[in-house]
Amino acid sequence: MMITDACVRPYPAGDSSVRRFALEARSMGYDSIVADGVPGVTLPGITVIPGTFISGKPARDVQSITKKYRGSGTVVSVLMGDNGFNRAVAGTSGVHILRGIGAADKRAFDHVAAKIAADNLTAIDIDLSVVIFGRGRLRQKAIHRYQDLMVLQHRFEFPVTLSSNARSVLGIRAVREVAGLCSLFGMDEQDIKSAFAGIETVTRKHEPDVRVIP
Amino acid sequence: MSVRPPTLREKKRYLLARIDPSGIAVDPKDLYYAMYEAVVSLFGDMAAASMQPSVLTVEDGYAILRCRRGAEREFAIALSTLTSYRETPLALRIRAISGTVESLRERLEQYGEPETVSKVPDTTEFVFASVPVEVVNWNGHKVDVIEKGFKNTRRLFLTEEDLERNHATTIPDGV
Repeated sequence: MMITDACVRPYPAGDSSVRRFALEARSMGYDSIVADGVPGVTLPGITVIPGTFISGKPARDVQSITKKYRGSGTVVSVLMGDNGFNRAVAGTSGVHILRGIGAADKRAFDHVAAKIAADNLTAIDIDLSVVIFGRGRLRQKAIHRYQDLMVLQHRFEFPVTLSSNARSVLGIRAVREVAGLCSLFGMDEQDIKSAFAGIETVTRKHEPDVRVIP
Repeated sequence: MSVRPPTLREKKRYLLARIDPSGIAVDPKDLYYAMYEAVVSLFGDMAAASMQPSVLTVEDGYAILRCRRGAEREFAIALSTLTSYRETPLALRIRAISGTVESLRERLEQYGEPETVSKVPDTTEFVFASVPVEVVNWNGHKVDVIEKGFKNTRRLFLTEEDLERNHATTIPDGV
């Protein structure tokens, strides 16, 4: 089982190079990190998976953008919008992760979107930077959204990923600390394990459950 | 108030935390305020009162912290939300939890002092992303630098491989 930080933002978006991120993440117990906007690389003990982040585009454009990344090994993540957008994007092949549930409207991700995400193996990201850096209302809202998300996750079993969304190595937290933070919104040990392996779940190629033999 | 006998005293737990980024001077009192703010904002006044968090000492880039026994898990979670100290970005990395300060001091001796910038040759100038940088901390492969020549410089966290070296001896004449 891989332990992955589903989103870090290295230089120039942040103040740390991707190699430094990899070094720090390895020392904190991760096997891999998804780095936005950098090519993939394997360093001793850790894999850097390339990622891309789509925001502010209509669902039709998201479809055409994801086609470019098909088969490239890039993790495609999309910022959540309203309920209709989320349902459309959760069912789009090539989209791996939906991000931003912590700041989304409370009706943005409902049971229908959860079912679609579960059927298409689209993960919902839990962004811990809001819990770590946020204070007051912002953090309370995020924790409430994550609690609500876990209720849906237990019912529909869609994949979940955990990301630090760190722009600096100071923003990454060790695996044990992340587990502690996740316990704040009701994730148990099994939930946390499967969330750490969420990237592996959404990126590996799935064999169909039923194969038609002519 | 007289000191209670040992059997009536509250049991404590001690945490050893590394201060990141290394090389910054941290005042224990200010660290206490930052830590207390993190605890109160996450768990509230009631939990903070029963947790009894405090900073015992800051030495060699490590802090020794204390809390009531049984609250160390919540204390560690709250510490992971500590992000700044006097408006400087900072993180505490918990390395060990123990029932005595003595055993943490032994651990501290094992970790040793971090390597310092003095091991960098004086004649070497470094460049990152075409910008000359000044090395402020060098620890193994990890290098912290500050951009040169700008008013609002920021600390960049890099590795040895990210830096380009401009040796003084290789600079061409007439430049």
